[in-house]
This record gives sequence, structure tokens and C-alpha cells, in this order.
Amino acid sequence: MRRGLALLVYALGSLRRRARRSVALALGLALATGLYASAVFLADALRAEYRANLDAAPDLTVQRLVAGRPALVPEDALTDLEALPGVRSVRPRLWGYLFVEAIEANVVVAAVEAGPELAPALATGEPLGPADALGDERPALVGPVLAERLALFPGDGLAIPDARGELVLLRVRGVFDPATALQAADLVLVHEATARRLLGVPEGEVTDLAIALAAPEEAPVVSAAVAERLPMSRVVDRVALERAYELTFDGRAGLVAALLLPMLAALLLMAWDRFSGLGESERREIGVLKAIGWGTGDVLLARLVEALVVTAGGVSLGLLAAYGYAFLLGAPGMSGALFGWSTLYPEPELAPATSLAQLFSLAGLVVGPLVAVALVPAWRASMLDPDEVIRGG
Amino acid sequence: MADEALGCTDLVKRYRDGDQRIAAVDGVNFSMPPGQLWALEGPSGSGKTTLLLALGGLLAPTSGDVRVAGRSTVGLRDHHRTRWRRAKVGFVFQELQLVRGMTLLENVLLPRVPEGGATGEERDRALALLERFGVAEKAGTQVERLSGGERQRGALARAMLHAPPVLLLDEPTAHVDAENAARIVGLLEELKGGGPAILVTTHDPRLAEHAAVDRRLVMRDGKLASAAL
Repeated sequence: MRRGLALLVYALGSLRRRARRSVALALGLALATGLYASAVFLADALRAEYRANLDAAPDLTVQRLVAGRPALVPEDALTDLEALPGVRSVRPRLWGYLFVEAIEANVVVAAVEAGPELAPALATGEPLGPADALGDERPALVGPVLAERLALFPGDGLAIPDARGELVLLRVRGVFDPATALQAADLVLVHEATARRLLGVPEGEVTDLAIALAAPEEAPVVSAAVAERLPMSRVVDRVALERAYELTFDGRAGLVAALLLPMLAALLLMAWDRFSGLGESERREIGVLKAIGWGTGDVLLARLVEALVVTAGGVSLGLLAAYGYAFLLGAPGMSGALFGWSTLYPEPELAPATSLAQLFSLAGLVVGPLVAVALVPAWRASMLDPDEVIRGG
Repeated sequence: MADEALGCTDLVKRYRDGDQRIAAVDGVNFSMPPGQLWALEGPSGSGKTTLLLALGGLLAPTSGDVRVAGRSTVGLRDHHRTRWRRAKVGFVFQELQLVRGMTLLENVLLPRVPEGGATGEERDRALALLERFGVAEKAGTQVERLSGGERQRGALARAMLHAPPVLLLDEPTAHVDAENAARIVGLLEELKGGGPAILVTTHDPRLAEHAAVDRRLVMRDGKLASAAL
């Protein structure tokens, strides 16, 4: 224990004596690890976020396809599906996309009656209120990113073109909480009548049907029954949705990580160079140490401690920086690559979801190879013949 | 071999140089009692430093035996020989003196690191040695700011930290001025009175011909050519 501590103190002094190289290497490692860890942190947080969203999603979503294209679903299909064994309830949903020229982007329009799961918490304003108590006014709740882009506040008017291109004036009653941005960034939530007008959906038809099951594990059986009862339908279960999310976010995170891997590889090479390239002063130092009674094991251990301190220090710094970058600064620059799926990028307030085990494995992914990379040159350094150094010196 | 601090029998060290074999040390024998100062002279390339390294256990001899403080070191395993050397031998080299970037005191205490660092007693002893060698006021100074003489005395203090029975010095007066050379010779004279056997390689007549030197060995072509006073 005392020997280890004494060698650690010596190794720290040795790093201090070669401060410029040590700091450059640690910072380089911190940068590479930080960027890589940011992608992992964000992907983990996003995964936790969309899994939480999936909890509110229906067990099954039934869509209708005509000639391979999504088509409206007759509302009376609801009665047929409600009679299926295992089905707890069926809810018609009304939603769609509309292009808003002012922001050159699509927004999601949904009817509040048909999709209560699409009604997250409000940051400002009040709920829509009952549909029959509002007269001619068409109230709407809007997503935080849309509100920010158009500088919308409760009481403001918002004109959106309907399916025929005629502008419909909505009155903003509330803005959703920014924490729900991943779910509601570009959402415009309105009453059913307004949604039908905007989306051009006639009475008696809906966009899709949301099915709640008595036992979610029966989803495959009920899906098959739905497909049989409603020909030309497509049934999407929660597992398929999760897979779609994973393909989207994990694919993006994987792409970012893959782009960063060459940087990590370059750092490994740099570390190899640092730990294997014995400068004249280092050769002399090892010669002195061996001449005054340090053994091969002592020199090897000191060199390994040096490598461990630099890599562990750089990696810890990188992980801390990644945490701050991802969760305090909101990952500027990287969030676009990971979050964006429309013109209105959400800026969700993500909560850290990386486990301690993942952190250790992430650190091990960098520290392990680097210390291994340092092992051979450390061994070579420790085997340095003092006679060779003395004569060379 | 009674009353022997340092000795060797038929010591040989050969190197390969292409197809040739060169005997840097070729059948050297001597037995050195404690409390003596011997000078090892000879032209460059005669094998002085190789002999010194082999005696100190830093170089494995091709054949023959080396004894330090009554024990043969040739057959020892590497880590045993290292520990033995750390306990029984003090080294001072002409070029490889002190570690740059460290203070003089840190350098003197450096041999103690593999043992877990210096104790308070060893630290006091290091300061006392620096005081004795006239460089106590430089204890906290980084070694690159010291003069050649100060560095050499610091290296001597480091070699003496564990009071070894054998002290080996390679050209200790080679790069110092006359005043510092006289000071180092005076210190060696003082040290040998304390008991260690001191073997120095030198070209410097100020050291080789000094009255404190008990015996002069001359090396030529790897052999001890003469032994005279």
C-alpha cells in the first residue's frame, strides 16, 4: 500500500515534469471521450424518453390502407373491433400534418377528443374547455417549439390553412410545457370539429383507431383477429412502435458514435506514441532510477500508474464534460443530429438515464485499451539497460 | 574472503560486435576490504565503467563471481539482486546524476520510493548528508539550477542515504572545477573513515594521486594491468 502510494506520488511528479505532453494527451482524451459519451448519454436519455412516451401509447393502432396508401378509417369499424375478445376499448383518433408557410414546416394537428394521450402538460394558459361552450371561436393548444418560432402566447391568433387551402383562424389558449418537446414540439391540439375542418376528414371517418387490450401480451393474437375482421388494415403494436423508435434514435446515435470512433482511434495512436516514445530525458530518468536501485517491476508500475492517471483523468474529465454538455447545455450541435425528424427540432429537457454500470463500461472502453496500449512500451522502458543509457548519455 | 566489502574472481564480460567478440572485462580478480578508497584508472575503452557496472550488479557478467558485503550477487534473481544493490551499493555516475525537474532533496530520497517512500528518519538523514556535503541550502532547489559540483555532491548524498558498505563512483571529478574536485576528494576521504569500501574510476590525477587513495588499479584492454600506490 505504501509502495503503491509512493509510486503514485512519483508518477504524478513525473507527469508534472512533462506537463505539456501529459495535459495535451489528457485533454485530447477528454475531448474524444466527451463527444462519444455525449452521444451515448443523449441516446440513453432519448431511449428512456420514448419508452416513457410509449407507456401512454395504445396497445394497438389500426390504420387502413388503400392501394398501399394510408386512408381514412370508417368510424363504425369501432363497433366490430370492440366485440373482439381481449379488446378492452377502442377509441377513434383524428390527426394529420399541415404545412404552415410562415415557418416553412409541417405541424401536427390533432383532435383532443380523439387523442387524450396527445395532451401533455401546459406551461402557460388554460385547457381547451368544452367544445360546445365556445361559439365561433376555435381554441388551440400549441407546442413549445412552434410557439417559440411564431412568438405565440395565450390569446394570440394563429392562422393555419385547411385541407382546401383556406386559412382557418385559431385562438391560442395555452402552450405545452417545454419538457414535453419531444412529444409535442410541433403539435396543434384542437377540438374535433376544428380538426375535421383543418384536415378535411368528413364525419363518420377518422385517421386511425387506438385499441386498449385487457392483456397487452395478447397483442399478436388480437392483431391477427383485427386484420381478419378489417381487410386492408394495418395493425401497429407497441413493440413495432418501439422498434421504429429504436431504429430511428439508435441509428442516429450509432451514426454519430461511428463518426467519433476514428477520433478515438487517433487518440489511441497518439497515446501509443506518447507512452512508447521515450524521450532523451525519460531514458536518462529510467537509467538513473535503475542505477539507484529501482527494479524492473518498480519502473513498470510507475509507468503504468502514469498511463492510468492520464487516461483516467482525461476520461473522467470527458465524462463530466459530456454530462454538462448533454444535460445542462442541451447538447448544442449534436442534438440536431440526434433529435431532428422535422423542421421544428424539439429541445427536450432530457433527464440522465445512463446507469452507473454503463458509465463504468464507457470508461473501461477507453481506459482499458489505453492502459493496454501503454503496457508494452512501459515494459520496454522498464527493461531499459542502465548500461546502455549510461554509455548513451 | 574474510573482511571483504567488495571482490571479484575471474570476472569476464564479453560483448558481441558483429562477428567479433570483445572482452570488455577479461579475468579480473581483487578483494577490497571495508574502509578503503581505491582508484581505478585506465584509458577510455579499457573497461573501467563495464567493471564498475558489473560489480554493482547493473550488468550481468559473462562469467566469474562478484561479491558484495560478503555475498555473491551473480546467481541472484533479478529482483533479489535489485534489492541487494539498493541496500548494499551506492552509485554515483559521471553523466547520469540527478533527475531533472525534481528538487535536490527529492532526488536524494528517490531510492526510497520502491520501499514505500522515505521515513521521517530517512528524511532527516538526507538533510544531514546535504548539510555535511555543503549543499543543505539547495535542498529545495530544482537540480537543473545547481552547479556541476553541487549536483555531484547531491548525487553523493543520495548514494550515501542508506549507508551502503560499498560506494562506486564513475569519474566523480570529471566535470567540476578544482575547488569542487578538492571538496569531493575531501568528502571521499571523510566517508571512507566511516567504513564503506569506495571504488572510483578516474582519469583525474588530483584524485588518483591523492593521499587518501589507498590503492590504484590500472586497467588496459579489460585486464588489471597493474596495481600500485
